[in-house]
Amino acid sequence: MSQKKAILSPLPGVFYRKPSPEEAEFFKEGDAVKAGDTVGLIEVMKNFYEVKAEEDGIIEKFVVDNEGIVDAGQELLVLK
Amino acid sequence: MSNLHTRYEYGGDEFVFVQLSEEMSLEANFKGIAITRKLKEKNIEGILDICPSNASYMVRVDPDVFHPDDLIKELKAIEESVKDLDDITISSRLVDVPVWFEDPWTHEAVMRFRDRHQDPESTDLEYSARINGYASKEEFIDALTRAPYLVSMIGFVPGLPWCFQIVPREKQIEVPKYVRPRTFTPERTFGFGGAFSVIYPVQGAGGYQMYGIAPAPIYQKEQTLPDFRDSMVFPKQGDIFRYRSITKEEYEEIRSQVEAGEFVYRKKEFSFTPSDVLADPEKFSEMVMGRLYHD
Amino acid sequence: MIKVIKPGLQTTVQDNGRIGLYEIGMPPSGAMDKYAFTVANLLVGNHPNAAVLEITYLGPELLFERGMRISLTGGQIPPKINGVSVPMWETLEVKAGDVLSFDFVQMGARTYLAVEGGIDVPLVMNSRSTYTLIGIGGFEGRALAAGDEVPIGEMKVKDVKAGTRISPELIPVYSKSHEIRVVVGLCSYRLTEESLQTFLEIEWTVTPEANRIGYRHKGERLRFVEREQPFGAGSNPSNVTDLGYPIGSIQVPDGVEPIVLLHDAVTGGGYATIATVISSDLNRMAQIKTNEKVHFVAVTLEQALQARREVQEKLKRIADAV
Repeated sequence: MSQKKAILSPLPGVFYRKPSPEEAEFFKEGDAVKAGDTVGLIEVMKNFYEVKAEEDGIIEKFVVDNEGIVDAGQELLVLK
Repeated sequence: MSNLHTRYEYGGDEFVFVQLSEEMSLEANFKGIAITRKLKEKNIEGILDICPSNASYMVRVDPDVFHPDDLIKELKAIEESVKDLDDITISSRLVDVPVWFEDPWTHEAVMRFRDRHQDPESTDLEYSARINGYASKEEFIDALTRAPYLVSMIGFVPGLPWCFQIVPREKQIEVPKYVRPRTFTPERTFGFGGAFSVIYPVQGAGGYQMYGIAPAPIYQKEQTLPDFRDSMVFPKQGDIFRYRSITKEEYEEIRSQVEAGEFVYRKKEFSFTPSDVLADPEKFSEMVMGRLYHD
Repeated sequence: MIKVIKPGLQTTVQDNGRIGLYEIGMPPSGAMDKYAFTVANLLVGNHPNAAVLEITYLGPELLFERGMRISLTGGQIPPKINGVSVPMWETLEVKAGDVLSFDFVQMGARTYLAVEGGIDVPLVMNSRSTYTLIGIGGFEGRALAAGDEVPIGEMKVKDVKAGTRISPELIPVYSKSHEIRVVVGLCSYRLTEESLQTFLEIEWTVTPEANRIGYRHKGERLRFVEREQPFGAGSNPSNVTDLGYPIGSIQVPDGVEPIVLLHDAVTGGGYATIATVISSDLNRMAQIKTNEKVHFVAVTLEQALQARREVQEKLKRIADAV
């Protein structure tokens, strides 16, 4: 049985699933990620903070949409 | 002579803001200079900042030492004492400030942000010349550089001088700011917005029309040039700047002097009274030009 | 020395600020929450103007290269030493080799780390505060980066024992909605009566554009009084002839999204300012995060001065206690 694990936003701000508006998403649901992969960006104070996976897994779902507003500690996506 | 209506306002518990006039005028600016310089001379304990601006000024106090209401009383008394501006002498400097108009760097920035401008089909110079009634951009540059400017305020970012041309009201140039601000302006850009010309001390966002670039800095963090030995910031409120149109060759010559740490602004110490200027701005400007370049 | 392993989002050296330079266009910079800053220095026995680290939203990871006393105050970014939680608002003792790290921010936005002796960076115009816009002051004019070695100074004036803490009622409580007191004035005559009411009545939401320069708020559009444009003022109804901006002053460019200007703000410009946050509430403003709610409450100058005295009395009680 695989264990589910959420990736949380360390910051309040805006969540981006793409490196820039013109580019493709970092990952889609169902993709495999490795520890250290950037899964999204949080923009706050004109800074972009890279949200990284802390362990390997498969993305089960994104809890927050692209450009969604998030608070610190909020779930961004769930790995399985 | 005064049609100005002064408003005294609190800026929270630490600031007093005084608006001398809603509209910009040489008279309002001189009045602000006169009041703030007198206040400075008084050396009152508890005053932290005296910040003159275009047609207003601002004072920061430690309210535990000097109550804002006592400050306002003091400021009203000073305003009364300088009512006629007749016995005020402003010590100032005349400075030659070279500008290369239509240089490649500001031109590139002008073209890059056309979609944020009132008139994407013209350059900033062409547009500004047209709306101010000049037949060509050459005539417009001539008007920009013929008469000198009073440095009427320093601020926004360290060292940025707001400059107001010493000409009669009907000859004053006025242009709008960009419709949407740019994200980039080259360092040392010579620009114009509202009734003011400026030089951008550092690269950054901006909304003023862009006409050219100054080879010499007005702000120098490293303080290696002789004009910056005492301060990172060169302009002082009350200075009189003359913007002089230069060629690419002179631009490059001055740049190499700056890089060698040798550049010094051409300048003269100078005192004047507001009434000298207000009586006949054009005559005053001519006299200033003579003093700066020929005496 | 303190070695920076991870820098956090924006960790800067700050003291009381570079005061008295408005006339050359230099904003004061300095600690955003002066209350937490002052208490942090008191808890390690420092001179009141010793420099500290201001930590915003996301904490750094720092290695202490020698033993010393430290304190952490301000917003709750829960601190840990060698992975074990440690209290805030208390004098702590660290040993050489200890690592300070932080959990995700809970309440508040900015934590202050004071070290015995203060952070030792060169004075620029009488202050150690960082002003990143032009890159002066602080640690090389910028926020800390991984690998930096931050030197410790000698601004200790008093010995404070580890374990010294302040009484709980003197520790501010941060929440997610905030009443911020303002003195209405400056150019508030430019707003319509209705819009001034709206400004004071509605709940504003802090946008992601909220930093040491200013905080931008979303809510309703505000309207300015129609007028014939005064010469030099600019064409937008929110424009005025360029003037000075007090710290804490609020402007509403084009009537959209009020901006509270803070310690690294531009010192002047051409937008009508409508009110000013009182000095005691600038400290509270510093602890507001993006997405939180703000309600602006109008007070008189006398009420503002009363609030200021209350803050000073609290600080005096803390100073007497340590």
